[in-house]
Amino acid sequence: MTENMILAENILQALAAGLLVGCLYGLMCTGLGMIFGIMRVINFAQGDLMMLGMYSTWYLFTGFGILAFMGAIIGPIVAAILAGPILFVIGYYMHKFLVAQVTGIRVAGSEGEGHYAQLILTLGIALILQNGGLIVFGSEPVSIRTPLSSSAVILGPFWGDFVEVFVNKARLVGAGVSIAVVIVLFLFVTRTRIGKALQAAADNSEAALYMGIDVDRAYHIAFGIGTAVTAIAGGLVATYYPFQPYVGLEFVIVMYAGVVLGGFGSIIGAFWGGMIIGLVQQMSTLVLPIQLQNTAIFVVFLLVIFLRPQGLFGRNVERV
Amino acid sequence: MGGSFTKSLGAFALFAAAYVALVFLAPDEYYQLMLTLVLVWAIMGISWNTLSGYSGLISFGHASFFGLGAYTVVLLQVYYGLTPWLGIPLAGFVGALAGVVIGLPTFRLRGHYFALAMLAYPLALLYIFEWLGFQEVAIPMERENPAAYLQFSDMRAYALIALALLACAFVAVRLIESSRFGMSLLAIKQNELAAEGAGIHTRKWKFYAIAASGAIAGVIGGFYAVILLVVTPPTVFGMLTSAQALIVTLFGGIGTVWGPIIGASILIPLAETLHAELGNVLPGIQGVVFGVAIVGVILIAPEGLFWKVRDLLYRRRGADAGPAYTVSDVPLIGERRHDLSGRTMLEVKGISKAFGGVQAVDDVSFTVPEGSIIGIIGPNGAGKTTLFNLLNGFQKPDKGEVLFEGENIVGLRPSAVCQRGIGRTFQVARPFTRLSVLNNVLVGAYVASADDDTALKHAREAIALVGLEGHEDRIAGGLTNIEQRLLELARALAGQPRLLFLDEILAGLGSSEVNAMIAVILRVSEAGKTILIIEHTMHAMLKLADQFVVLDHGSRVAVGKPSEVVRDPTVIEAYLGKKWANRA
Amino acid sequence: MLGRRELLKTAAIVVGAAVVAAGGPALAQDQAVQIGLIAPMSGPWARQGELMRLGGELAVKDINAAGGIESLGGRPIELVIFDAGDSAEKAKNAAQRMVSQYPDLVGVTGAWLSSFTLAVSEVTERAEIPMLTLSYSDQITNRGFKYIFQMPMTGNEQAKNAIPALLEVAKAATGEQPTTTGIIADNTASSESFASPIRSGEMDELGLQVKFDETFTPPLADATALVQRARSTRPQFMLMLGTAVPDDKLLLEKVNEFGLGGGRMPIISSGAHMGAPELLKSVGPDLLEGVMTVVGNWAGKGSEEMIARFKEVTGEPWMTQDSIATYGDIMVFKEALERAGKADPKAVADEIRAMDLTDGPAQYYPGGEIKFDERGRNTGADLVIIQWQSGQPVPIYPDNIAVAKPIWPTK
Repeated sequence: MTENMILAENILQALAAGLLVGCLYGLMCTGLGMIFGIMRVINFAQGDLMMLGMYSTWYLFTGFGILAFMGAIIGPIVAAILAGPILFVIGYYMHKFLVAQVTGIRVAGSEGEGHYAQLILTLGIALILQNGGLIVFGSEPVSIRTPLSSSAVILGPFWGDFVEVFVNKARLVGAGVSIAVVIVLFLFVTRTRIGKALQAAADNSEAALYMGIDVDRAYHIAFGIGTAVTAIAGGLVATYYPFQPYVGLEFVIVMYAGVVLGGFGSIIGAFWGGMIIGLVQQMSTLVLPIQLQNTAIFVVFLLVIFLRPQGLFGRNVERV
Repeated sequence: MGGSFTKSLGAFALFAAAYVALVFLAPDEYYQLMLTLVLVWAIMGISWNTLSGYSGLISFGHASFFGLGAYTVVLLQVYYGLTPWLGIPLAGFVGALAGVVIGLPTFRLRGHYFALAMLAYPLALLYIFEWLGFQEVAIPMERENPAAYLQFSDMRAYALIALALLACAFVAVRLIESSRFGMSLLAIKQNELAAEGAGIHTRKWKFYAIAASGAIAGVIGGFYAVILLVVTPPTVFGMLTSAQALIVTLFGGIGTVWGPIIGASILIPLAETLHAELGNVLPGIQGVVFGVAIVGVILIAPEGLFWKVRDLLYRRRGADAGPAYTVSDVPLIGERRHDLSGRTMLEVKGISKAFGGVQAVDDVSFTVPEGSIIGIIGPNGAGKTTLFNLLNGFQKPDKGEVLFEGENIVGLRPSAVCQRGIGRTFQVARPFTRLSVLNNVLVGAYVASADDDTALKHAREAIALVGLEGHEDRIAGGLTNIEQRLLELARALAGQPRLLFLDEILAGLGSSEVNAMIAVILRVSEAGKTILIIEHTMHAMLKLADQFVVLDHGSRVAVGKPSEVVRDPTVIEAYLGKKWANRA
Repeated sequence: MLGRRELLKTAAIVVGAAVVAAGGPALAQDQAVQIGLIAPMSGPWARQGELMRLGGELAVKDINAAGGIESLGGRPIELVIFDAGDSAEKAKNAAQRMVSQYPDLVGVTGAWLSSFTLAVSEVTERAEIPMLTLSYSDQITNRGFKYIFQMPMTGNEQAKNAIPALLEVAKAATGEQPTTTGIIADNTASSESFASPIRSGEMDELGLQVKFDETFTPPLADATALVQRARSTRPQFMLMLGTAVPDDKLLLEKVNEFGLGGGRMPIISSGAHMGAPELLKSVGPDLLEGVMTVVGNWAGKGSEEMIARFKEVTGEPWMTQDSIATYGDIMVFKEALERAGKADPKAVADEIRAMDLTDGPAQYYPGGEIKFDERGRNTGADLVIIQWQSGQPVPIYPDNIAVAKPIWPTK
């Protein structure tokens, strides 16, 4: 291989890896986007809810082996998708009994103090989930074994006999499922009655209230859906990434960066935001030391907030 | 305020005495260390409070300052043999510098964006320090002259040094709390635009706050390195460091120096004890109990224990509230002369502003003579509030001029406009609910007062002018709707404006309250203030204004005496639609 | 301003209550001689702490069953466990609690992760309690401390000894000595310690050309970029130096995905994580086959009886470094106590410092010899190389421990 071939292969490989991981990050961000974008709740526990999604997947497939009959290829993916409804229920009630007590219209006029309350509340929930997870699941990292995670679809060779691109199968499937989930979610929000009620509640909660929409319930549902979507993303990540109860911390920053990049209130925007994070994370290794991979994410994140605070795909600047 | 300062010093002395007693009663070094850590996190909480508690700009990134402080101390000792006695003050300097550097770009952001941007700094620093190869840096053990390197075999020495640091932080923050600095931060927290409108140079105070906060965090980070002995990036830059600063403060009480002290005194021993006692049996139980405690407190006392207890005490001592304000307190004033002969104070020339494709204000011109009351009226969406925002600097017009006493004030910051003598009230009254009436007004008085005594004098005069005398010590949160409006008016007046903008000051008041408010406004006018008032409803304004400027769809459709304007067909059309205009 | 006094009082009472509730110093004058084990029992490394505990408990059981410490009139031994948690700060706090609440401790072993050991030993040094450690970083014994004893070879020495030996194996298998390698290492102290002789040129006489040298910060998010370096430069073997099982899994799976698995690129690692039972569970035997790792200790030939009992008692599939090293450490303390004749940490430390053993507890360490230099390094230490063969990590070097022949992967 010549220097140029190596360079071309490195670039294509990073691009492919970035696109795949970007789809999964995009799905996580879409989930958070529902919560942060619609309700302006900074949910610190989002990463830990995702952790619950990962463990749900693990228990469904490996732990209790309920889905083991489906085999090591289909089973984990079905398990990941089923993590969605499970976490929807958890998210719905978590919002109803905890988060809604300190956010939403109930405290709309309370001079910003509601912000502190929800921050610390979700921080507390995050602590409970992380450490409760340690008690319930143990601290030993677990992983889902599927042959997909260590095999690839090989593209190429593109240049003589060289320059091949390896597309990891587990991530390829994960990316495909992610795109499908985002499309379903998009159709749900824009085409169904519940979806439209959610949008109305997001745009103007008071007006929605006058229109007879049960805004409280709409918020519970939005929170549940946001949790479920992130949980599915977590389940998909779990098919190739070992995890333990503290894993949420590694992803929560990525999610916020993605949502802010994409802009508030835009489901598709949040997806693209996550995609950009994935691409930056992978492509930065071409020019920077690998240790600064994550620093590159934060730098891009900061640049976007400074230069385009409404996000790359956002509709409006946050009102003061 | 001097009284309360002395009182709080007394309370602190009691705390310090109790602390020293505990340190000497503590059965062993482990508890002495725990007591030291209580103060470390109390000080870290105070640092966070200095920026976020007072100004409301929530920071998730205080670990940046803490970590830089810790690394300053440890690296200086490892590579240059510099003692932490000098390293720690330097760490404070590094922290302050980092604060300013981080503030420069980040203060352009508000709300959630600010919070999230702050989150990114320590995490980026964490990876950078790992990359630089500083993943484990130990403080070298000095066997020769340990005390010179802040190394003591008796743990109590560290506890006492921590107490001294806390005392410094306490005094510094109490001074900030009770000064113009603290008041300005509170005003920013409540409503940054209103603060800017009240003449507060918000950007400057925010920089002072982040520098002070960064310095405190840097110092305590440096001290922490000395106790910890081994500094690793996750320990000092990790998310838990920022979170812990925030948790102890929110738990104990936000926006008061006691909050972090209370929070750390309860939570740190609790967490450590749980970890020590139950960590082996149920790993993570300390985190769970910690989390449950936090969630519980937030649901019961969302602003922290300090305020909850204080509110309970206040409620019990209901008598403290003083007599309620009644509208009949306002003496009526004689018939107004509707005199428009004063010299021109404000001249608006062809001002325009468009948002996207919508022309919000379109080529509007009018003049305001000295001593007059000019009413800007128009239906909803006519562009009244936008016009106001253009006039006092909150938005910049696309074209046109605003001449205040001959000077074009277009392009000035709101605080600069305020300093030239233009005050304003806001449509939604935003008192500082935790502060007394007097302190609320005092915030507005600083802009035109060189010293605090003058500010106090101006504040009392303004309170008298609006008729809130005798209510000075009430907490603003307990005021009625009209009292809050009057408070807002007094706050604007305390800044000694010559021209006063009132934004829908009558909206939402009952009819007797409207009359009372009109009487107050007339009295303000008699006191020599020129007034520009926008109002949606015409009726009440008939008694008040000397001249109407009518806006519709951003354009000036009429100007003239109120009694004439209300008969103008174009005005009726604007308000009621074409059908009615034809009938009239 | 109201209620501050009351609040202060409350705060003071709460602090006081916490102090009282936590209990005073434990009743120390019971018969047992206390030895501390400080290791992560919670957090991401809890599994390693668990393995250490299993080894330590077995040693205590064996000693007490054999009649305790003879020179102390048969006093039994008690293992007191302290959770070092998930950060250097928690480890240090635990150490502080350990030395202040258990004044009768005669010695301590721990704390697994090098950074924890660095933090904990800062406390034990000041308290003058001897600490034995299985951590590899050479920093630990570079600080001039007198009460720290590093049982294994430092990572640095391990690399200098293991790599030439492995190159010999390769030469025997392929007919020529490999001349190119690449390094993927995390930035923890032990990995850096292992990689340093190659990076600094100390091993130039081997004629190894380093084709790439990449460092990452754990936890690794994704291994694509790292393994791509290996793919495009194709060294003859690769040094893969992580510290945590999840990172190992990501790297090994990526190696396989990129068509470098199955022995196409032989892998040499450092540390016992690469031989952990949960690694097998998480990546499966195929990807591990042939992977070699250099460790400070491993249960092998000569300890069969103990290994069998260990497996029986704990249900673990094999005995890792963490378990046998802790077992050995407790035995070292027993030996020192026997010699000192009193349960005093300083006397125990003196006896350890003076040790020159080739039998007794020395059999639990690969060099078969225990003797410390003035820094506290065990000059008799040797390393063990283990290799995954048919789904089991087996010692292949040195001969006195090896239970299988090394196989240089070729394909």
